[in-house]
Amino acid sequence: MASPERSAPPPPDPGLPTQLVRQARRYTTDPDLPLGQQAYTTPLRDERLAAWLGAALGILFGVCFVTGLYSHLHQHPVPWLPVPARPAGLFRLTQGLHVAAGIASIPVLVAKLWLVWPRFVSFPPVKGMGHLVERIGLFPLVAGGIFMAFSGVANIAQWYPWRFAFPAAHFWTAWIVIGALVAHVGAKWAITRRSLGRRRTALADADPDLGSVAEPSHDGLTRRGFLTTVAGAAGALTVVTVGQTLRPLHRLALLAPRDSQLGPQGRPVNRSAANAGVLGAASSPDYRLRVEGRVATPLSLTLAELLAVQAHEAALPIACVEGWSYSARWRGVRVRDLLSMAGAPPGATCHVESLEAGSPYRISFLDDAQAHDRDTLIATHLDGRPLGPDHGFPARLIGPGRPGVNQTKWVTRVVVG
Amino acid sequence: MSAPARSATSPHPRAGPAFWLSAACGWAVIAYGVWGLVHHHLDTRPTNYAKFAVGGALIHDLLFAPVVLLAGVAIAHTVRGPARAPVQAALIVSGCVVLYAFPLIRGYGHAAHNPSSLPHNYTANVVLVLAGVWLVATATIVVRSVATRRSRTRG
Repeated sequence: MASPERSAPPPPDPGLPTQLVRQARRYTTDPDLPLGQQAYTTPLRDERLAAWLGAALGILFGVCFVTGLYSHLHQHPVPWLPVPARPAGLFRLTQGLHVAAGIASIPVLVAKLWLVWPRFVSFPPVKGMGHLVERIGLFPLVAGGIFMAFSGVANIAQWYPWRFAFPAAHFWTAWIVIGALVAHVGAKWAITRRSLGRRRTALADADPDLGSVAEPSHDGLTRRGFLTTVAGAAGALTVVTVGQTLRPLHRLALLAPRDSQLGPQGRPVNRSAANAGVLGAASSPDYRLRVEGRVATPLSLTLAELLAVQAHEAALPIACVEGWSYSARWRGVRVRDLLSMAGAPPGATCHVESLEAGSPYRISFLDDAQAHDRDTLIATHLDGRPLGPDHGFPARLIGPGRPGVNQTKWVTRVVVG
Repeated sequence: MSAPARSATSPHPRAGPAFWLSAACGWAVIAYGVWGLVHHHLDTRPTNYAKFAVGGALIHDLLFAPVVLLAGVAIAHTVRGPARAPVQAALIVSGCVVLYAFPLIRGYGHAAHNPSSLPHNYTANVVLVLAGVWLVATATIVVRSVATRRSRTRG
């Protein structure tokens, strides 16, 4: 801007970098300009509220991480850490928690990001080495947190607008988010402890970037009201979805992507026989269930021969990784009986294979405990009726404490390892 | 401009050993995650993945957050009296519900030949949930208005 004429000699030109910094400082700190920090003053942007939301988010993300790891361990078994087959409803519980905590974290994440957003445009952007490291760590935390929430919600709605494999991307990003969370907790530990204590931080000590002001008597939401609203939003989302796995709330599950009582035979499925491309092979008279591998006498059973083997009934839940579940009565041949009929060695493990071709989930593994559990069945009946094609006709695997994706449908081979 | 001396309760306390230790642990775990994404590139498709991971943050920071901030300013300027807090609360809850339900409303993941795929009318159900939210908000406004009027007549 041109300055009015003066008699004094003009000051020396400060140089472009200095001028740029000066302008940036002016635009980001002048309270009268849009980016000025005081443009965002509100009683709601308060360190204590940020600490409460952060703690809630830390717990929800923590639950998601631990339950997610458990699910990953089921789908990618490692010999040194076998997953238990019992209790039968354990996976139903952990995965129900995983999806519910993920959905409930949406309002908390959005509120937390809203609350700290002015720090995103604070100036100067870096205040020392520690602050630089802390700020760089916010990118994996924020980008990763948003990615986890978005990809999780899209996945349970079976919407795949991307080209990557959801489980791999969701799993590896979880490590990034949890790492960023550890670094963030370390950076905010002192301030969080202080803020969650009984006394509210004095305004003079509050972070000026945040724009905290005293809570005057005004019409808008109070800090308590804001926190209650966020909790209410998380609660509302939970109530309208968790009925997909929690039976008593079934009628309230208005926004659940699956209904535990709607589908073929009154039960939902993730993948229908038509979509798996198995309709022909499953109903073919050439269908055989083979038991092969490390066995003394390989078996090849027609459906009629399979139905002639002594059947057992088990009441077991089927719990999908996408958060829905139901309990049902299953009838079929015990896997351990099939293994002993074929003369498999005691303590043998095995895997089962589906008629479905080209799916990463066409094979699932049974460790010693799972293969020899009294309720692990090659099931032929659901709730007293023969399995429909969408539920895995002619035979499917069903076992206690397994993810639905490992309850392989349209089973045609049991391979003893 | 002279900055006030940093007190013990400063928002930017000097980074101590605990800070650096947690930063080192945290970044080691982040590095493990990044290694996993790169190592399993056939599954994670890093270029496509980056579009979503970075795009999500950019959409939030540059579009979603400013729109929410402006909406907040607009509400503060247009809704006054006992209605403002319930309206703010109802908008926050409604926004979260729509944000979650968006893929369901649009029916992106609906699979043909699968009667259990997205079995509800999600548009109708979202309207129903929002109706419940705004019913609670309206009831709160009425209660608050009556309370305000009473306190005024008493005063």
